[in-house]
Amino acid sequence: MFDPSKFIDESVEKLREDIDGKAIVATSGGVDSTVAAVLLSRAIGENLLSVYVDTGLMRKGEGEQISKTLDQLGVNYEIVNARDEFFSALKGVVDPEKKRMAIGAKFIEIFERVAKGMGAEYLVQGTIAPDWIESGGELRDTIKSHHNVGGLPEQMELKLVEPLRDLYKDEVREVARELGIEVSERQPFPGPAMAIRILGEVTPESAELAREACAIVEQEIERAAADGEMELPWQYFASVLNVKSVGVRGDIRAYGYTVVVRAVQSIDGMTASYSKIPHEVLDRISIRVTNELNQINRVVYDITNKPPATIEWE
Amino acid sequence: MKIFVVDNGGQWTHREWRVLKYLGMNTRIIPNTTPLKDLEVDGLVLSGGAPRVGVDSEKMGRNGEYLDEASFPILGICAGHQYMAQHFGGRAEPSGIPEFGKTQVFVDEEDELFLNLPSSFQAWLSHNDEVSELPRDFLSLAHSNNCKHQAMKHLKRPIYGVQFHPEVEHTEHGYEIFKNFLKVCEEMR
Repeated sequence: MFDPSKFIDESVEKLREDIDGKAIVATSGGVDSTVAAVLLSRAIGENLLSVYVDTGLMRKGEGEQISKTLDQLGVNYEIVNARDEFFSALKGVVDPEKKRMAIGAKFIEIFERVAKGMGAEYLVQGTIAPDWIESGGELRDTIKSHHNVGGLPEQMELKLVEPLRDLYKDEVREVARELGIEVSERQPFPGPAMAIRILGEVTPESAELAREACAIVEQEIERAAADGEMELPWQYFASVLNVKSVGVRGDIRAYGYTVVVRAVQSIDGMTASYSKIPHEVLDRISIRVTNELNQINRVVYDITNKPPATIEWE
Repeated sequence: MKIFVVDNGGQWTHREWRVLKYLGMNTRIIPNTTPLKDLEVDGLVLSGGAPRVGVDSEKMGRNGEYLDEASFPILGICAGHQYMAQHFGGRAEPSGIPEFGKTQVFVDEEDELFLNLPSSFQAWLSHNDEVSELPRDFLSLAHSNNCKHQAMKHLKRPIYGVQFHPEVEHTEHGYEIFKNFLKVCEEMR
């Protein structure tokens, strides 16, 4: 079986061997990148800078959460506000692969900028196995380009270090628990964030809509799980579909978008089955989404496993 | 034991490596172009992959060499299983109804591979092609409602193929199937 403490010892040692000088670590506040940051800090201490990029695409309340997480970790960090840069890079882009590539490239551009500023030669990422597997290459088909793999330029100035490449989420969580990391149980969240939970063009407005829809789904499911109504799924969220349908709101015809609720059970993200959420919970989600979000006319529940679907819609 | 995974470009190749690692094996993922003479192993797993073996079998590298010349046991999974059938004179063709996700597999011959397993279990699949005709000297071990040959074995050599994916978490009894294969490897050493 997997031995997290052995893994920690071996990776810290390897990071010490691999990194000679300063390094930045790409941080999102999630489990993978936080584990990477802690391992790195054990290996090289003060020589690391944790960089969080505010893309404008993160979840509700993420901004406040991240500085708390980083403060607790006690590592040097910098928060880069890049909202405008991301929205302008995504302007007019609707193809999911192009979105992912644009986001990956933008991340790297920012990391290179920050690294140059402090004289760092290494970029450490919390890339895990499904990221590079699904990104494809050579014989392996590209299912989706993960932002931390597919967006990398061919000629990269920074040397890439990925200590978690061979781990899946369940194993990263074991390492996180062993390291005493508070976010160890946080649900997975994709690097491109809300950009891939909006089918169609990403704008500040559509990002806000997806963010609100996700927040409602998270709140209702977490409450239901806490009350013992259901098991907490492995991952649960909403996506906004660019499918319009007719409705009636206050005796007036409405023509609005669709929100899809997605919740799955998985261990490693490589196979997943949709969660059998009680209808009462779905009902509460549906009522809140359609009442609180004016542009949403219809809520549907995704009952597809992976394969053939993937967990996220894009 | 040393059991390597031949990478045919599957989404779950690395999962096969993980299962073997969890079962205490000395394991590595190797390109399917690795010459057999460089392999000092006690068994091989031929992974699944994107190649449609019926049309682009050249992408299957040296899988044929392993199948022809290896003295150790081999387990082919998905594309590895289909290639095995085609290589030994059977046929792999597009499935009438391809299977993605959850399927019930029915064991027809317990054999070494399904030893001590229930006669039917839930397995996860992801395939466009399947073995439509078994090669000579092969025995079909299992089926599903939409696929005749979910598993097969060579009658004279320790060579096995499965269409479903024992390496993914959602397949029931996956570890037991790997353990059964490893038992064969152990006995052959």
